[in-house]
This record gives sequence, C-alpha cells and structure tokens, in this order.
Amino acid sequence: METMSEGEPPKPKPRPIVRLGLFLISHSFIVSVACCAAGIFALLLLPVLAKNTYISENALMPGSASPMLSNDDVSRARMFVNKVVSFDFKTDSSSIGIQELVAQHITDLGGEVNFHKFLPQANKFNPLHFFSGPDQGIVQENYTCSSYGINTVGFIRAPRGDGKEAIVLVTPYNSVKTSTGEALSLGIAYSIFSLLTRVTWLAKDVIWLAADSQHGEYAAVAAWLREYHTPSFDGSGKSLFESNASPRTGRKRHNDFLRAGTMAAALVIKVTDGTEKAERDVLNLYAEASNGQMPNLDLINVVNYLAVNGQRLRVKVEKLGSLLDAWWLRSLAELFHKLGTLARSLNPQWNFGISVAEYIEGTATLACSLYNQALGVPTGPHGVFRDYQVDAITMEISSKRLANYKNRPNELLLQGGRLVEGVILSVNNLLEKFHQSFFLYLLTSPNKFVSVGVYMIPFALLVAPLPMVAASLFADSTQRNSGTENKVTSSSDIPAITFESWRWLHAAKTVFIVHFWGAVVTLLPHFLSLVLDSLPLINLVIWIVLSAFTLLVLQVVLGSSVSLPRMKQTQGMEWTLLKSVTIAAACTGLCIMSVINFATAELGALMLVPMCLMARPLRIDAKAKTLKSFIRVACNLVLIFLFFPPVTYYLWKGALVGLDNARVGDFWNWVESLWTWNSATYIYMCMVHLPCWVLCVHTLAYPC
Amino acid sequence: MTTTTTTTTATTTTTTTAKTKPHFWKWAIASIIFRLILIYFPKNLNLATRPEVSTPVTSLRRLAEGYWLTQSSMSPYAGSMYHGSPLLLSVLGPLTMKKIEGQPYHLLCSLVSVIADFISAMLIRATGLKLRMAYCERLKLLGLGKLFEVSEILPSEDIAALVYLWNPFTIVTCVGFNTAPVENLFIILSLYGASTRVAPLAAFGWVIASHLSLYPTILIIPVILLLGNGPDATPKKLLLMYKKDEGGSSSKGRVVNGLTEQKSFSWRPVGLFFVWVFIWTLYTLFMCGIFMRNYGGLSEMFSRTYGFILTVEDLSPNIGVLWYFFAEVFEFFRDFFLIVFHLNILFMILPLAIRLNHRPCFLAFVYMAICSMLKPYPSVGDSALYLALLALFFNELAEMQFSFFLFCGYVGVSLLSPVMHNLWIWRGTGNANFYFATGMAYACFQIILVVESVSAMLNHDRKIRKLVAANIS
Repeated sequence: METMSEGEPPKPKPRPIVRLGLFLISHSFIVSVACCAAGIFALLLLPVLAKNTYISENALMPGSASPMLSNDDVSRARMFVNKVVSFDFKTDSSSIGIQELVAQHITDLGGEVNFHKFLPQANKFNPLHFFSGPDQGIVQENYTCSSYGINTVGFIRAPRGDGKEAIVLVTPYNSVKTSTGEALSLGIAYSIFSLLTRVTWLAKDVIWLAADSQHGEYAAVAAWLREYHTPSFDGSGKSLFESNASPRTGRKRHNDFLRAGTMAAALVIKVTDGTEKAERDVLNLYAEASNGQMPNLDLINVVNYLAVNGQRLRVKVEKLGSLLDAWWLRSLAELFHKLGTLARSLNPQWNFGISVAEYIEGTATLACSLYNQALGVPTGPHGVFRDYQVDAITMEISSKRLANYKNRPNELLLQGGRLVEGVILSVNNLLEKFHQSFFLYLLTSPNKFVSVGVYMIPFALLVAPLPMVAASLFADSTQRNSGTENKVTSSSDIPAITFESWRWLHAAKTVFIVHFWGAVVTLLPHFLSLVLDSLPLINLVIWIVLSAFTLLVLQVVLGSSVSLPRMKQTQGMEWTLLKSVTIAAACTGLCIMSVINFATAELGALMLVPMCLMARPLRIDAKAKTLKSFIRVACNLVLIFLFFPPVTYYLWKGALVGLDNARVGDFWNWVESLWTWNSATYIYMCMVHLPCWVLCVHTLAYPC
Repeated sequence: MTTTTTTTTATTTTTTTAKTKPHFWKWAIASIIFRLILIYFPKNLNLATRPEVSTPVTSLRRLAEGYWLTQSSMSPYAGSMYHGSPLLLSVLGPLTMKKIEGQPYHLLCSLVSVIADFISAMLIRATGLKLRMAYCERLKLLGLGKLFEVSEILPSEDIAALVYLWNPFTIVTCVGFNTAPVENLFIILSLYGASTRVAPLAAFGWVIASHLSLYPTILIIPVILLLGNGPDATPKKLLLMYKKDEGGSSSKGRVVNGLTEQKSFSWRPVGLFFVWVFIWTLYTLFMCGIFMRNYGGLSEMFSRTYGFILTVEDLSPNIGVLWYFFAEVFEFFRDFFLIVFHLNILFMILPLAIRLNHRPCFLAFVYMAICSMLKPYPSVGDSALYLALLALFFNELAEMQFSFFLFCGYVGVSLLSPVMHNLWIWRGTGNANFYFATGMAYACFQIILVVESVSAMLNHDRKIRKLVAANIS
C-alpha cells in the first residue's frame, strides 16, 4: 500500500491496481473504520466458525485395541499408593526416602532406575531467549544450596524398539509432603508401568519421571529435561550424581544419567479433588506452553477421544468464568442464534447456527485460550517439553471420589490407567513425530478448534488500515510540501536539489529514539532486580521514574545533536509524517509479534490500532471548535488514558477478578512474572506498545 | 539483543543526518567503541551461528577448522568444511588459535574485522570526496554553479562512511566472526585505487577481492571505466553540447581545457592496470601454489573454492533464494539451472555498463547489489557494502522514490528473518517456506532498491541536461 503513496503524480491512465490503491488511500478513513469494525466482528464470530476436531494422523488409531490394564495391575498399584500415603516422612531422616521407595518398586517391576539430583534454579531474564535454543543460559551456580530436589526416573526398554524414541510420563509430587492426589497420580503411573513391563507391542521406550516438586513442578521437569538434552561434559555436574548409590542398601545403581532417545510425546498426570457436583469425573486438559505455543492438536484429540468414548470422563478446558454471565455476551449469542435460525429457514443447507449456551461457552473458552497464550506463561510442567519440540499435555483428573478413595480406589486407578494406556498405545503407533495436525490453533471447547487460517482473518482486518493510513498520511504530507516547494522555486530559474523524498528521516529519528528508549525500559527491571530488593511498589515507582528520566536524557542527547537540513520551514506539517512513521513502526511490530505469539498480537492490535489511528494534535482540534473535533479530542484522551499499560492492567484485573484487593504494586509483580518466564509479551509491551503510546502522546501534544 | 538490531537499524537514519566534520569523527569513533563493546560479549550474541551473518564461504569458525586441519598436515579442504582462500588461512588462521590471557576466545580475529571496517570507511570517505569534487567541478563546467546557491550539497562522503560504520548489517557482520569485512575492504580498496587512478592499487584490490570471493570479478568493468574516464560525472554528450554552444559565441579557456582533458578515454592507466593485474594474479597464484603444493595443487583449490560457489553444493538455508530452489529442483535439471542463474548475472553486465558508463562507481554499486541478490551464499555483509556505496550518491539520489517504503522493508525483513528461522528450526511449528518467504521479500526489496536508485540517477542526469539546455537557450 505504501508503494502507492509515493507513486508519481497521477498520470492520465494508471494501471487498475494503482487506481485501486489510490482509491483506498484517498478513502482511508472510511476503509479503516470498516476494517476495524469488521475485525472486531470477525473476532466475535470465531466461536461460530469453530470446526469439530478430527484425528488427522491415521497411524494413531485411538481405541482400536481393547485396554489390557487388569485388576491385578490396579491392585498392585493400590498397595503402592497405600505405601506412599502411609510413608512416614518424620521418621525417615534421609533425604531420599520416598524416592527410594518409588525406585525400589520400579526395579521390582523390572525397569531401570536413575536418580536425578538437581538444584532449584531461579528463572532468569534472558531477552534473547526466543531467538536461541532452549539450551542457552545453563548456569550452575550456588552449590551451597542445601535443598536438592531428587527426581526418580524409571525406564522400560521397548522389546520391539531400537531405543531411539521414547514416551514420557510425568507425575509431579512433593517429596516432603505427598498428598493423596499426588499419591494416586503416582499410582496410575505405577499401574501403567507394571503393565508395560510385560507387553510385547511396545516400540518406543517408556520413561516415567516422578518429578520432585518441592521446588515447583516446572523447575523439576525443566532441570531434568535440560540435563537430558544438554549433557555437561565439563565435570561441573559430576558431583550431582554421587548419590546414585542407594543410601539404605548401598546397592550401586547406574552412575550415569540414563537416556532413551528422542521423545515422541509427554503426558503429565495429575489427580485433584473434584468439588463439582458432576455425575462423572472430570478431565481437565492444559496445553499452553511458553509464548503461546501449543502441542499438536492430534495429541489433544487422542486424549479427548479416549477420555470421552473409552472412559466416559467429562473433558474440560479452561474457561474465563466472568464471561459466562455477561449480559452483552448473552444478547450477542441470542443475536447469532436468531441469525442462524433465520438463515436455516431460508436455506436448510446453511447450517451455521449455534445455540446460545454453546456460543457463550465457546467464547469463554476462546477468551481463556487467547488470554493464556497471550500471557506467554506455561500453564503447567508440560510447558517445558514444548521448548524441546516435544508435544506434551497435562491431564488433570478431578474426582470427587478422592476424599473417600479408600472405599473404591480401584475404579479411579483403573479409569486413569486405561486412559493413559490408550494414549500410549496410540503414540506408540506413530511412525514420525506429530506433524499431521495443527500447531497453531485456538480451542473453543475440547472438541472444537479455530485453525490459524480462520483466526488470522480478524487480525489481518485489524492491521490492514495501518499501512493504508500510513501511506495516505505520507502521500498527504509529501503532496502538500511539494506544492509549497513549487511555489517557492517557480520564481528562480534553477530548481534546487531538495531532499524531498528523505524528509521522513526526521520523523524516523524521533520514532527511533522512542523505540530505543523502549529497549532501555525493557532492560531496566533486570538491572533493578540485580541492584536492590525491595517492595513491589517501590520497584515500580523507581522503574517509572528511571524510565521517564532516560526518555528525557535520550531526547536531549540524541535529539539535538543531529538534525537534517531544510526541515525547518515545514514544521507545521511534520506531525502527519511523524504519525505515518509511528503507524508504520506499529504495523511492523504487530506483524512480527503475530508470528511470535499470535494471541498477544491480536490483543495488542485491539488496543494499538484505534489509538494510533485516532491520534491527532489536540491544538488543531481545539482550534476547530466543532462537535466532530470535540468528540475526537474526547476519544483521543480516553484511548490514551485506557491504553497506558498499568491502567490497562488494572482494568483487566478489575474485569476478571474485581478490584477489591488490588494493590498498586501488583503491576510490578505481574511484569516480573512475565519477564522471569521470558515471555515475549513483556518485550512486546515495552518495545512496541509503550513506544507507540509515547509517540501518540507526542502527536497529541504536537505544537501546531 | 534484539534491541541492538532495532536500535542500530535506526541509528543509520540519525547518523546520515550528521554532517559537520567534528560530528563525523565523533560518530566514527563511537561506532568503533560500540563494536569493541559488542565484541566483548560474543557468547551472548551468538551471531557466528546465524545463517544471515556467516555463510559457508565466509565463516571464520570454518576457517579455524581448516587451519586446524593444516596444522595436523591435512588438506584444509578435507571434509568440506573450509571453502575460502589459502591466503586467508595463512593470515587469519594463526589468529584463531592464539588466545590472550583472560580474554574472549576470538578477540583477535574480531579486532581484525574492526580494523578492516574502519579502513573501509576511511577509503569510502576518500573515494566519496573524490566523487563529490568531480561532481561539483562538472556542474561548474556546465555553467550550473548557481545550483550550489539554491541548494545545499551535502558532504556525501561523510554520510557514506557513517552509513557504512553504523549500518546494523555492517556491525553484525563485524561482530559475527566472519571474513566478510576483509573481503569488503579489498573491494573498496580497488574502487578507491581506480578513482584515484593508482593502477597498481586498483589491480591489487581487484585481484585479491576476486580471489577471495569470486563475484567482484565483474567489477573489472567499473574499474576500467574509472581508470579511463575518471570519476562519475554527467554524460559527456552534455559537455559537448555545452561546448558547441560556447564555442559558437565566446570560448572560455577553462572550459575548453577541461574538455580536452576529459574528452577521450585514456588508455595509459588501463594498460598499466592490466599489467599490474597480470603481476598480482601471478603472485597470488604462486603463493597459493606454494601453500597447496602438498594438498593437491591449484586445481584442488579452484574446485574447492570457486567450484563450491558455482555449483551451489551447500544447501543449508541462508537469506538468498538459490538454496531453496536447488533443494527442490530435480537432479536432472540441476546443471541447466546452475548455468541459467549464473548467466543471469552476466547478462545484466553489458546493458548496465552501456547505460551507466558515465557513472562507473554507481555501476559498481548496481553490480554489487545484483550479485548479492543472485549469489548462492549471500550474507548481510554484502548489503552493508552496497548500501554504503549507495550513500555515496546521496546528492544525486535526493529525489529517489520509495525510500521510506524500502527502509520499512529492510527493517521488517531483518527483524522477521530471525523470527521465521526460529519458528522453523527451534519451535518446529513453521517450515522452510516461512524462512524462504523472508528471503524472497529481501530479494524483492533489493530489486526495488536497484530499480529505483537507477531510475533516480537517470532522472537526475535528465534534470541536469534540461538545465543545461535551458541555460544554452
């Protein structure tokens, strides 16, 4: 679009595409309003457009074999669970008590065992994390730390396999105080393990990682995976494995870190206490990994299919609860419902109707899916696997029978065990990695999804006005300026060499300074956290003050030292150029973000696009003194106020959970959580959203 | 460090605006300091592994491997790791092994790159000064001295040198542990030698540059034109036209003198150039021959360096377009398309030389841009070179169109390319097409840049002609 803007003065007959471009640019206001409205409408329409999931990879064949998990396995698992529950943590003074118990049981079943001792590692800010592999930043420090975590890892070598591939089961449990739910999840994994040591069909090795979650589930799994993929050769890690000799029996186990080939898939199993009054047990699925990455849709499909059809569980994905009883959503749902029935009455084949409840549920799920992906923080230990390109999912079985499981424990173990068995059987059939189905999708329910081709449309519609308006502003300012130039030069006989087409450099300089400042703001919290350790509120205040200070310094240092010639006389019209360059920068930022983390870009576009498009110097509007200009001023001020990041954060928070116990320092905590998880959203916020906000303020305050 | 790329991207824009002399030195030194700071954190940047920065031909890590092989008395070309010149190996090789106590590993090699960049910038500045002087003089000869009064002639040599020093592409190449800065240095050296009419220097630069990276071979045309015709100027027709007119009325001695001086193509420096080319080529081949005598002789060197470039053996992804094409093409057609793609460059040489023969330096820019588009292993170092050459003509290209669009395109592509690469290689959610798309976009922007700059240059010449015609009438 921008190419059109700079095109030569209208020739008698330009090509149709040029004419189309010129037409769009000249009507950019109407077009951009239409595009933005269409973008928001299309976003609301997504639950209607969601398709049913289907299993794309033929080799998976879920549910084709009848489950082999017998009552024998289950009763053994039950005994194991009882042992874990009754394990006395007080009397056992050694640090490796319960791990030893698990290891003992695995060895008895005929599997290989290996302990993995790790130090809890604080998440560190690494702004380049996205561009490098996951093995960056392995820092082994602080060996004096007293509390090690010890993972117990069991292996079954596949009788039919070549040891090149593996399936991973993860059961996080707290080794200091194991709850009933954790014990039951260990029990499920144990029952599977006891079955799989006997079967002949296994073509991939099976790894059972009993992750010690006393320092957090994520940290334990992350430490093990890091060790699995990046062995340390420098000897610094050696000391960690000394304890592989069993402390009680003195029996020497493998002193090496055991491995089993590339991972085909990983399942995180959890059991929690269900509080709902539902008839059936509920299976909650969590899939979001860091930066909005999702596992292959086929994995979710298989789990969903087996849980619903095989084990009669109710499968759920997370919803945004506050949306369920929003009045506006209900009326919108009724509208769509009426439209759907109307369409069907016209032509029975137009079958896009959706019931009211379904639409509301779909929207709430979609909103939660978008929100979780946009945060860029993984929703569970499955998130680590995605960093190593392994598809992983957390299956949380929530049962109300947990409280009195002693009466009917076998049922839960059998149900969970058979589900996991079925999934392993399917994954075992895979010839290649998961690749058939989607990686980029949003879920609207466990069996409905919106694929990338559909959800890109609202975003594309929202962003489309940006290059157009940038081009139109650019053309506007160029034309106006060349008009004045012509008048000036027509008097003298020699036309001067004017750096007409380079005038944007001036505006680009301002935009660059502000974006550079954005980079400084991004890095400030990192240094702040290194230097001082104080309350969130104080940190937040220091951050804001320092940011404002650097902006001033940069403006003075860089802004004054360099200046373009022949720019002074056109000061009045500079703001259009400035806005044009701002919009171009915003567009670039949004497009790049849409590739990195689509959800962030979508939510970001909802805020950034209207703000950037509306911006106009307040003085011009103040001079005009018409109703239109008054409305524009009001809109500008409201938008600028709303989309200042802290304000936006508190509004979001108010909408989601209420502002009753919100504190000012919460924003700092939220930001800190984003950057410790290396979320690209943080970088987006500081390097795209904030600079664009500042530039919009600059445009509003432009002296005319 | 995404920040550095974006920040430096825009720094160019600000620095192009710096123009007075003290400013120049301030910014030049600042750029050197900036490089030295970046060199200190090579691990964090990890630029040496980026496909955009180091190619199989220019990577210093491969050179270190080749040097290690020679140390254990094997051919440096064994195992298809190294594909550069044996001369570079014997000069830079020892530096890759040497380690200063307590310093990062490849500090010495990076320092060589920094020095090379600085010398290149100085040479660009000297060349630019020559070009600007010639430009102003020619305008005065044409009786257009008034042009200086109405409009400001910017010191394009300072701008070009600063563009070279602060271009994020140059900085990334310099810090990225590869030999591109040295190769660029020799290309610029040959242009400098030719524009100052020092034939031995021009021949030396040209021979070494061609020896190191093959493609500068085609620069022989601009170099000959420079030696024969002198630096860039308006077409000679104009002068003749002006002279006729002047001769009709009253002859101005100075003008006529200038004309006789510049009228004919001077063969002497060109002849000298060829003699020196012969000498330097023999010398280079002799040195290479000594180096290669135990490892299969010169034929082995040619097949492993030029052969490797011409047959596109390595299909690992880079920012060019050939790797994808040759990964897809059937083996049967491979030779045919190899010929087609290489002829593509050769086909463009002659028409461009005819149309732009009065502007040899600009012609060199166009050639370098086309090469960087059609090279099998391009890197951002190539664009660093041609963007600096482009900035030499800042005055002539004042009315170039689409500059903002091109700028946005370059910024967008250089940010998107690593993201797409990450999506494909690390996350596994994207595929090769994602990355190739940015490569294509990059090629498109280069094409637009070349087309627009050439048309702006021709328009400028047209404008001057109109002015001259108006003056005469």
